[in-house]
Amino acid sequence: MSGRETKTFVVTRFDPDRDEAPRTERYEVPVRDDWKVLDALNYIKDEIDPTLSHRWSCRMAVCGSCGMQVNGEPKLTCKTALREYGSTVEVAPLANFPVVRDLVIEMEGFLDKLQAVRPWIIEAKDAARREGTHRQSPEELEAFKKFSMCINCMLCYAACPVVANEPDFLGPAAIALGHRYNQDSRDHGAGERNQVFRGEGGVFACSFANECTEVCPKHVDPGYAIQEAKLLNVIDWATSFVVPRGKAR
Amino acid sequence: MSARARIDSMRPKRPGSTRTAPPRMPDLYPTRGRYLPYIAFGSVGLLLMLVGFGILRSVWVLGEHDPAAWRAHLSAYRHPAYIVFHLFAMLAIGWFGLRFFRLFPKTQPPKIGPLRSPPEPVLLAGLRTAFVIATALVAAVLGGAIG
Amino acid sequence: MIEVLQHDVVVVGGGGAGLRAAIAAVEADPRLSVALVSKVYPMRSHTVSAEGGAAAVAREDDSLEMHAWDTVKGSDFLGDQDVIQYFVEQAPIELALLENWGCPWSRNEDGSVATRAFGGMTTKRTWFATDKVGFHMLHSLFQHSLRFDRIVRYDEHFVSKLLVEGGRVQGVVSLDIRSGAVSAILGRAVILATGGAGKVFPFTTNGNIKTGDGMALAYREGVGLKDMEFLQYHPTGLPGTGILITEASRGEGGYLRNKDGERFLVTRDYGVGTKAELGPRDMISRAIIREIAAGRGVDGPYGQHVWLDLTHLGEDKINSRLPFVRELSTTYAFVDPVHEPIPIRPVAHYMMGGVDTNIDGATPLPGLYAAGECACVSLNGANRLGSNSLTECLVFGARAGRKAVEYALGAGAPDEARARSVTEAEAARLDALRGSARGEEKIPRIRDEMNRALEAGCGVYREQASMALACKELAILQERVPRLRLSDASRVFNTELVAALELQNMLDVAEAIANAALARKESRGAHACSDHPARNDAEYLHHSLVTRSAEGRPVVGRKAVTLGIWEPEERKY
Repeated sequence: MSGRETKTFVVTRFDPDRDEAPRTERYEVPVRDDWKVLDALNYIKDEIDPTLSHRWSCRMAVCGSCGMQVNGEPKLTCKTALREYGSTVEVAPLANFPVVRDLVIEMEGFLDKLQAVRPWIIEAKDAARREGTHRQSPEELEAFKKFSMCINCMLCYAACPVVANEPDFLGPAAIALGHRYNQDSRDHGAGERNQVFRGEGGVFACSFANECTEVCPKHVDPGYAIQEAKLLNVIDWATSFVVPRGKAR
Repeated sequence: MSARARIDSMRPKRPGSTRTAPPRMPDLYPTRGRYLPYIAFGSVGLLLMLVGFGILRSVWVLGEHDPAAWRAHLSAYRHPAYIVFHLFAMLAIGWFGLRFFRLFPKTQPPKIGPLRSPPEPVLLAGLRTAFVIATALVAAVLGGAIG
Repeated sequence: MIEVLQHDVVVVGGGGAGLRAAIAAVEADPRLSVALVSKVYPMRSHTVSAEGGAAAVAREDDSLEMHAWDTVKGSDFLGDQDVIQYFVEQAPIELALLENWGCPWSRNEDGSVATRAFGGMTTKRTWFATDKVGFHMLHSLFQHSLRFDRIVRYDEHFVSKLLVEGGRVQGVVSLDIRSGAVSAILGRAVILATGGAGKVFPFTTNGNIKTGDGMALAYREGVGLKDMEFLQYHPTGLPGTGILITEASRGEGGYLRNKDGERFLVTRDYGVGTKAELGPRDMISRAIIREIAAGRGVDGPYGQHVWLDLTHLGEDKINSRLPFVRELSTTYAFVDPVHEPIPIRPVAHYMMGGVDTNIDGATPLPGLYAAGECACVSLNGANRLGSNSLTECLVFGARAGRKAVEYALGAGAPDEARARSVTEAEAARLDALRGSARGEEKIPRIRDEMNRALEAGCGVYREQASMALACKELAILQERVPRLRLSDASRVFNTELVAALELQNMLDVAEAIANAALARKESRGAHACSDHPARNDAEYLHHSLVTRSAEGRPVVGRKAVTLGIWEPEERKY
């Protein structure tokens, strides 16, 4: 194709029925100036090698499907512009996850961790059936708004050194989402969630590398959520000696 | 290919229906890329420990109340090896301090009683000023301008 | 070995409507087990990309009657008025319920839910969550659904066939995308909530997964597809990628300008009156196309476009009300809307048409229900008002869930032996298709030709000649698609096989769209026929209904519209 630059893509491939272990393949792709990495992957699938499997859907960085390692960094491939890269681009499946096929990783581990933090509004024990909506001031909304922006893309898990070494660690996104509910003025479940936060693999397993916040494409700042969760848990634990344990927050 | 992560990293509770390849560390682990600052940050603790031993030794010699021994001890520190080490330690601890203060706002409670934490730009500006003043004070003391 | 899995209700599709239906089903009866079968993990469903808001009467100066009237008029009088009446009554209840489940609606100072203006709505009744309402709604629904262990999820499972036995639906045949295994998921009722089919068009706001699977599944079992010719073009999509720039950007005061900087909706007569940029979507899309055709469009690398100007709103307002718009514009159009106008053009966005259902979400096939964009209830008639469809997912997802449960409780157990043999045949078909190197046709080529045919034949303005041509071209593509050449023979996570199945679904839906469009010789709502520019209530005040003949060809019939207190009148704003 005239007028288009050619970049070389070194893509990890793995078919459990055929391959003992993952290997790489090189593809020459004529790229357009405004393409993202995902456009190149789709070109490879359509025009060069239809056996390449990868997840994608919205291509506007909101569904969270297309997380992969691009030149070693966890990125959303639909949002990563090719003009930032040189003539060779390495695309690999998201780090720290078991690999199912090519660029597709195992997601059930994350869903287990998400379930463990009880990410839903837990009503007060004696609450009457609600009519209409809660009142929530804009300040109360701000207290958790940032953490609710998580698209479950799991780039933070790929960047976190603790996830790599500690299989029980809940991980940045799960803790941020649990914390989002703890901070929501409509929720009364912080007591239950904090049991999980204080347990094995809870917030105190975090060693504050802050890589999760560095890679988050939606500015959720899970690093901050985890530190705030640690702090609130410590305060809660300390005050439990002084104040009778009633509504734990 | 990059190094292997722990084999059970992000493993699901129930095994999947197909064989999976083991998780990989990101390509740049551990010697390049974003892990380097993280490991360096933690390793500064070792530096601090060594500097601490040096200070302890100085305090010990001070306690002997012997001016000659003290002068000998101080001149021993003028050895090139110590000067290089001190330079390196100053830079490392300076970098450590900057990174620490960048992350520090995340460790602050959003509210202490009725008092809320200041907005991030104010907090960062305050911390940077405190860092600069503290560094200047220490430099002045060590340089002999004060005390 | 075929596995047979038993549940009471099977929901196909895990987006807004599917999740709401599943939740309604388990809440309706504590003993029932509900299967939620989705070809992607639910949080990837395309509901997630909706930006603007969800409509429900909330303010003192608003009324159910006004919301109903706006919807009836917006639908160009093709919406069923009993459906619309039920919808506006349930809308505030459903949105309040979602708030209780954690949805972070944006608030007024006094803590009540905030509302914004939206196209075609006479007052502010669109609830919003900054400009990511679909994202927040979907994640709130998904996270709430995690409470129920009686909702059993089959994630990344592709339903390739409905199990129909004894004149009723008894479950689905599902392909586990991960392992390649095919199983039968039995249920006494099945709810389709698989979304629309924007991917039949080349430029669309829709994601890769919007391939009309549920519509095709129902169509192949004899259920009619209603009002398929009505395809909504969203006026403001980015050229090239088709990425959605929400209507809220106009709701917050954005202007549309042509190449001379003129606000052409105000200076020229395009039928939107004083509403200008807040007119209904079909009229604005047509206005933009006519501006471009008149030579006042702007040249761009992906064709001509016009400008969406937000520069006068100020950085603060954009950051607080339209942050996602700013991010999308900067990342995908390389333009910062605070300083420069955004290039936009109409792109295919939403299907008013879909699986024929009644007000209960029930199709004519007993046991089969449908809700959300894949269904045609019909709430939206010939044109949908922005922010009605998210509420539609909740209202009719809930109703379909409850009605499916009522049906399931009265229905007998499915025929397992029969299900097993049908599933085994389907598994053999998929095995033969996987990696089949026999034919010479390639998926991307057929997909591109289908896209081109629909773009030419069923664009914003349609001509009889080009619609007829599209129908012919699609019929030829239907003959070519059985000769696909597939290269990936792997059983594990074979996305090429899924793409082939989706392509077949898209062709079925595309044929329904083109044939229904050809048959409607008038202009109404989103269907603008250049040969017949006027609305013709005498002959065409009915829904179209496309069914499949015994030879597998689309046949266009009709179905009556339920009128109510409002008689059709001229649609002027």
